[in-house]
Amino acid sequence: MTAILAAIRLAMRAIVRSKLRSTLTVLGILIGVAAVVIVVALGTGVQQQVVGQISNLGANVIFIFPQSTQTSGVRSSDVNRLTEADGRALVAEATSIANVAPFSSTGAQVIAGDRNAVTQVMGVSRTYFPVRGFSVGKGEMFTESEELLKAKVVIIGETVREKLFGPGDPIGQYVRIGRYPYRVVGLLTPKGQSPFGEDQDDRVLMPIGSFRARVVPSPPGRVQQLIASATDERTVDRAVAQIEAILRQRHGIAPDQDPDFGIRTQAEFRKSSEEIVGTLTVLLSSIAAVSLLVGGIGVMNIMLVSVTERTREIGIRMAIGASAADIMTQFLVEAIVLSVIGGVFGLGIGAGVIKALGGALGWSLQLPIPAVVAAMGTSAVIGIVFGFFPARRAALMDPIVALRQE
Amino acid sequence: MKDAPPIIEFVEIHKDYVTEAVVVRALRGVNLTIRKGEFVAIIGQSGSGKSTMMNIIGCLDRPTRGQYILDGIDVGARSNDARAIVRNHLIGFVFQGFNLLPRTTALENVELPLVYRGVAAAERRKRALASLSAVGLGARLHHTPNQLSGGQQQRVAIARALVTQPPLLLADEPTGNLDTRTSYEVLDLLQRLNREQGITIVLVTHERDIADCAGRVVEMRDGSVRRDIVNERPTDAGRALAELPVQDEHGATS
Repeated sequence: MTAILAAIRLAMRAIVRSKLRSTLTVLGILIGVAAVVIVVALGTGVQQQVVGQISNLGANVIFIFPQSTQTSGVRSSDVNRLTEADGRALVAEATSIANVAPFSSTGAQVIAGDRNAVTQVMGVSRTYFPVRGFSVGKGEMFTESEELLKAKVVIIGETVREKLFGPGDPIGQYVRIGRYPYRVVGLLTPKGQSPFGEDQDDRVLMPIGSFRARVVPSPPGRVQQLIASATDERTVDRAVAQIEAILRQRHGIAPDQDPDFGIRTQAEFRKSSEEIVGTLTVLLSSIAAVSLLVGGIGVMNIMLVSVTERTREIGIRMAIGASAADIMTQFLVEAIVLSVIGGVFGLGIGAGVIKALGGALGWSLQLPIPAVVAAMGTSAVIGIVFGFFPARRAALMDPIVALRQE
Repeated sequence: MKDAPPIIEFVEIHKDYVTEAVVVRALRGVNLTIRKGEFVAIIGQSGSGKSTMMNIIGCLDRPTRGQYILDGIDVGARSNDARAIVRNHLIGFVFQGFNLLPRTTALENVELPLVYRGVAAAERRKRALASLSAVGLGARLHHTPNQLSGGQQQRVAIARALVTQPPLLLADEPTGNLDTRTSYEVLDLLQRLNREQGITIVLVTHERDIADCAGRVVEMRDGSVRRDIVNERPTDAGRALAELPVQDEHGATS
């Protein structure tokens, strides 16, 4: 222990002796470590952000959407085969499905008085709200009879309200979409951005019957998408299997044929976006790691210079009884101390940058503990790896030759 | 002294240097026994093989052939690490160029051999101070070598050589960089160490005057011992010093 402390003290002295050189060497490691820590923290931050937004979609959500099929090399254009009846069948037959909401949408201009907004107009059922995790904050949900009667009622999002009504109360007011006026019955509780960067409050919801009748004329019962919710997070996979089986049967698709619908779960969205962010983080970390490697080469370079400069010192030490291991330790410790100093300062600077970035982006960025441990460990390992060759060179010197050196 | 046990035994020591297909035979079968407590000067011109002998005695180099027994240990055959330990424990080195570590204080220089012996810091300091005062250097302990005169530097180097209390002190041209007065001061110190503490001293030099201070003179020529004579009346360096014309202190700097 005392031997190690003495070696560290000796190394510190040698390092302090050539200040500028040591500072520049340390800088190489510092930048590398800071880069790794910052990139990993950012990656983790983005991942958390995305996961949070995807969870925002609503728990256990399963998206079912039409998909074009290919028969004998001909891609079918008749892709819109999902119906409300499909949805009802799923609720009735699939044991792991709690609810199914039909859903169609289009971009349209919405007018109120002298103001207008281009927004997403959606035809939905009452079940859409619990399935997607929306709720009506002010006013009322449209009733079942309004749904059946294809009543001209809408529920608007916060963004739409702001554009059309400013600070005013929208409930009971009328908006015009196309040729028809609709009465605003409710206001959505604000939900913020979706993981795809879409403003989930920039939308107008109406009964799907009204939508088919007036906004996008389409055959009765036809929907663009079905959104199902599994009974539980753990039954999502089972629910997907049931949906697949039921819809294949209803659409008359043989097991060896491609289905005319696709199924995505929230978990899949989450997984794929996690994968993307993860890949990006790995990529950027590797680039940062390269700078750490370059820093290590800097350490090796300076250690080689140092060994050459101190050849005579090495000879003297050997003559008075230093073993090869003693000399090796001396230079190895010096390289490690250089690297670890770089690691500590790099970590400090990385932490500062992370804090500043977190504040600027409004994310909760944290100094990633595994990255901290890895960065410190890596800088020590860099000291050992890149210090080894110069230290060995010093240790293998012939004391006679070393002593003769001027 | 004739009955004292041998500390250095050279048995048919050969040393060849191979340089670009030319073999230089630096030592050609040297047989030499040095007993404990002797003060031996090895003298010879450059190229006589005295430096090679010095390196082999000091365990810095290995003989090509032959047996070298130091204090009963056959060190010729030992590994590098074992020879490092031998150097640390049995030999004190004093060099022509002093070979003190630059930018390191006198005290720390003297402590250095003890560092490699794993002696604790407090004990190290105590022994280094004792060794420095034994060579007559009580002040300027915290000066670095470039702040010391040549004579002072050589005293620090001798203190460093003695701090481990080795049975053998090897001095390679210890007065080579010093003026006459300082040379005799150093020789006086070596003679007293030999006389009072019984330390075996092997001194390598090319100067007859210096060699005359030793009790035995081994003359090397062409890699062999040419003469090995006992000096019945060695020069007393202390007396020689007293007979030198008085100089001012500037003369002490090299």
